[in-house]
Amino acid sequence: MARITKDMGVSKTLDTLRNSDGYFITNTARDMSQSDYKNRILLDTDLKAAEAREKAGYFSLEITGGASVHVDILRKQVDPFLKLELLREKMPNTMFQTLCRGVNLFGYRPYPQNVIRLTVKEFAKYVDVWRTFDFMNHIPNMQAVFEEVAKAGKINEPCICFSTGPEHTNEYYVSKVQDILDVTGNDIILCIKNHGGLGTPRRIGELVDAIKQTYPDIIIHYHGHNTDGNDIGRITAAVMAGANIVDASDHAFTGFYGPAPILSVIQTLKDLGKTAVGIDEEAVIASSDAIRDERKYYDQFESQIKGFLPTVQIHKLPGGAMGSSLEQAVKGGFLDKMPDILHKELPEVQKDLGNYWSVTPGSQILWTTAVSNVQEEGDRYSNPSGDLKNLLLGKYGPFPFYQPADWIYEKAFGPDWRAILEKEGGVEDIEDIDIEKERADLQERLEYEPTEQQLVTYLQHPNDAVEFFKFEDKFGKSYVLPPSIFLRQGGFELGETIKFKDHNGQEHMLELGPAQQNADGGANLHMNVDHNQRVFLFEPEQSAGTVAAAPQLSKKEIANLAKTGDIRAPFGGNVNKINVEVGQEVAVGDQVAIMEAMKMQTPVVSEVAGVVSEIYTKIGSALQAGEKLLLIEQ
Amino acid sequence: MKTKILVANRGEIAIRIIRSIQELNYDAVAIYETPDRDSRHIRIANEAVWIGNGPRCDYLDIAKVIKAAKSTGCAAIHPGYGFLAENPLLAKACEEAGIIFIGPSSGTIERLGNKVTARRIMAEAGIPMVPGTQNLKAGDAGSDEALEFGEKYGYPIMLKATAGGGGRGIRRIENKEELREQYVIARSEAKAAFNDDSVYVEKVVVQPKHIEVQIIADKDGKTVHLGTRDCSIQRRNQKLVEIAPAFSLSDELNEEICQAAVKSAKAANYFNAGTVEFLLDSDNKYYFMEINTRLQVEHTVTEMITGIDIVRTQIKLALGKELLFGQEDVNLRGHAIELRINAEDPQNNFMPEGGKTINVYQSPGGYGVRLDGFCYQGYTIPEVYDSLLVKLTAQGWSWNETVDRLKRCLKNFVIAGPKTTIPFYLSLVDDQDFRDGNFDTSFLETHEHILKYDEPKNEVDKLARLIAEIHHKKQNTYAA
Repeated sequence: MARITKDMGVSKTLDTLRNSDGYFITNTARDMSQSDYKNRILLDTDLKAAEAREKAGYFSLEITGGASVHVDILRKQVDPFLKLELLREKMPNTMFQTLCRGVNLFGYRPYPQNVIRLTVKEFAKYVDVWRTFDFMNHIPNMQAVFEEVAKAGKINEPCICFSTGPEHTNEYYVSKVQDILDVTGNDIILCIKNHGGLGTPRRIGELVDAIKQTYPDIIIHYHGHNTDGNDIGRITAAVMAGANIVDASDHAFTGFYGPAPILSVIQTLKDLGKTAVGIDEEAVIASSDAIRDERKYYDQFESQIKGFLPTVQIHKLPGGAMGSSLEQAVKGGFLDKMPDILHKELPEVQKDLGNYWSVTPGSQILWTTAVSNVQEEGDRYSNPSGDLKNLLLGKYGPFPFYQPADWIYEKAFGPDWRAILEKEGGVEDIEDIDIEKERADLQERLEYEPTEQQLVTYLQHPNDAVEFFKFEDKFGKSYVLPPSIFLRQGGFELGETIKFKDHNGQEHMLELGPAQQNADGGANLHMNVDHNQRVFLFEPEQSAGTVAAAPQLSKKEIANLAKTGDIRAPFGGNVNKINVEVGQEVAVGDQVAIMEAMKMQTPVVSEVAGVVSEIYTKIGSALQAGEKLLLIEQ
Repeated sequence: MKTKILVANRGEIAIRIIRSIQELNYDAVAIYETPDRDSRHIRIANEAVWIGNGPRCDYLDIAKVIKAAKSTGCAAIHPGYGFLAENPLLAKACEEAGIIFIGPSSGTIERLGNKVTARRIMAEAGIPMVPGTQNLKAGDAGSDEALEFGEKYGYPIMLKATAGGGGRGIRRIENKEELREQYVIARSEAKAAFNDDSVYVEKVVVQPKHIEVQIIADKDGKTVHLGTRDCSIQRRNQKLVEIAPAFSLSDELNEEICQAAVKSAKAANYFNAGTVEFLLDSDNKYYFMEINTRLQVEHTVTEMITGIDIVRTQIKLALGKELLFGQEDVNLRGHAIELRINAEDPQNNFMPEGGKTINVYQSPGGYGVRLDGFCYQGYTIPEVYDSLLVKLTAQGWSWNETVDRLKRCLKNFVIAGPKTTIPFYLSLVDDQDFRDGNFDTSFLETHEHILKYDEPKNEVDKLARLIAEIHHKKQNTYAA
């Protein structure tokens, strides 16, 4: 049976899926990178695998979306559009797939409708299959994406997010499928999104069977994670029950929290009489061979905790969040509290908050709340994040099964919580933004006219996008550097020769050394760049003593200062937004700034009425708890 | 005992002179002020004498210089350029102390240093001068005289108060209507300002080229020229680029100017090396400006195309030798260009970068390249002297070859620490007008884009910077 190719069109593709005797495979390279390598697999590595992956005959390559758009610009310094363009050159036939968080797009909170539509429109030029989900399984949150994908002539793959627990019955999910079909019509692929790798093989088999019983013509794409080491079991059960497409990835890079190895899936199912349609097994092996040697450079991004975690069935953290959560635990110095957080508090919080699906951004809310609850030592929910408050207010969508208990609302909003819920509750209609104004703002920040793609990238993550564009102005297109260079730790050997082709295809050779230490503490690095001598100067590092140490203030002291108008950073994080200017009048309760930590935003509100007299910080600054934000004179 | 010669200067020119002294198998004695205690000219000299704390006062102190020469037993003093080089009192003090002054006599220096005297000598010798009038007659007669001058030489002209000076009492007149208007006002203003209503007019040389001729003469009055130089590319009247021979002049004009220079030198009874400076207007008319009675910064370009060591010749002439070559022996080969590499920020109005330490100094070499510098890695540039670090001179058979050679040298020249004029010159050598030889003294004002260069910005240099950072910080902080 022939493989599916990019230019078949939606209906022929879906017909082929329906009529094929066997199953198809999506290579979830993006999800593998996100789950097992903190999203750091570089474009260079994907380009190395591209030729063999193209030949392997996958239904699709999942290569963008999720957190990757953000990490592309934040940590990989690669343009998320250019990435797709370059991969497309090497992979003309394979469909590219994305993971879209519905109204939250590739970010962590809802975007205005016009931003969603523009974003989908631009990405749809490169992306053929749109897997879209909402962490509350709230269908209206995905509506705009569905419409734009259909408009672009691409394939919609709506998800039902899957979890376990007494409420998570076949009946519930089958009815959710109906809700989706009511909106999208039948020309879709339905994804069972098992981001945690939850449930047993039997449970997944039963679910696929239940859906197929009700909708015999539906195409099912099973997505799972191998966190407990048993996703091949679930994949097998899904296919045996009639799933048409399954997710897995290259064995050279498979780890503990992401996809299972493709080859193991093929071998297991072959023995059960199921054929992987269009798959060239030699090419599957060749893909891994092409990149196996690169894996060592990504060691540094592998999880702090090695090994499968069958306890995922208890804590339910999605594979895509395992790495970053554990990293936060290490950075935050609470790795020792992980057993408590994962096995006691997190399951408790999930129950408290309505047993919804632990996936972005809902998983971050569960996680930060659990961490905060453990750190507050018994006084649970006493330090609610802005996003938790929004969740409680129903701004992300209605709770699917039940609303959290009153006492949690009271903790979060105080005794007047009912009035607040009454007044502010419900899904927020986010007003369209003035996109031309955003374009002008970006132009002002860049000092040149941005491209449409730059604008779209900017609309996702404004501050990080500007930083990235400035990085490219300064350092060029650095995706050309392999991980052995881009991710090098400990510096290079003096005398080491580095060869690469730049973005224009020109080959270069750099030879490092010698290096000198100057009397003033600065340093010089000499480099032979294409046979021209270059010297790079480094100013002396600021010694620790010269940086004003952040004041060590307790939460109470920070709160007391706020009552005098001396607004301090309530916790360590980045300044995401400053809503006021010097000289502006503010009232009690006015939001003056937004701080962000662990991707969660928390508004900073004024406790006093007065006039802003000083702003001590700027957008993007990293502040420690207690550092000065701004001053309001009463 | 070896003959000793004292070099009454510092920096690159001190080293330049010391080299010739030592090549003649004499000993060189350096002098220095305290801020120059790390200067390389002291290390290269056979002896060095500390003459005071300075700055810039001891190098100008004739008594201290003479004392240093005497105490070290020097037979002669070479003044270099700047400082005391054109002060007739040093030459005179040498003459009185029985020390040979390597340069013209104090009388020559004095006469040629006085612009009025110098102009008179040259006018008498029939050297072309910028046309001008004597003091204009009083009243309408004076106005008519001025109008007649304007008619004859063309506008614009300068209307100058005779008693004015230092830029005061000067107005530029574009046409005869303006002249009629301004004449009366100028007179009354001159009266009010200087209590003297005398005025005169002089032709304005519009966007002139600066052309000069190196001359050299022995005691017997045998005077030869070593060809022309074009020093038109200047900023704020300071030369940046010097070229030999003057480019894009016809052979005839070149020869005519050289002959005029020889004639000027003879008229001044000139001895030793000197430079006759001319302005050349857009109609190829040249006018005498002045004679510099010393070694010029840009003598290197002349040496490169003639093969004649001017400093060596200066010393030998001063010590009583006669010129061993005649005009017929002087052959000009190809082109030479000198760039003054200064510790300055061209993009910040050429602000000096003194006080900074040279962390890296890597100079180019190869065929047709000459460097006259004094810096070294680790040297801190004193803030109290000029900002010249090194003169880069390239010689080539053709003009294009010479410019290409310069460009290659600039690309391979690494000076890290202070900002320098190197990136500015890299921008200059790619300018089409420069390549075509279209430049005059207004070049920088009319070619401001040359100053708008970027630091190297191609992909590989940007990525090299990233790699350097990954190395220096031991990790890629942009990927962390």
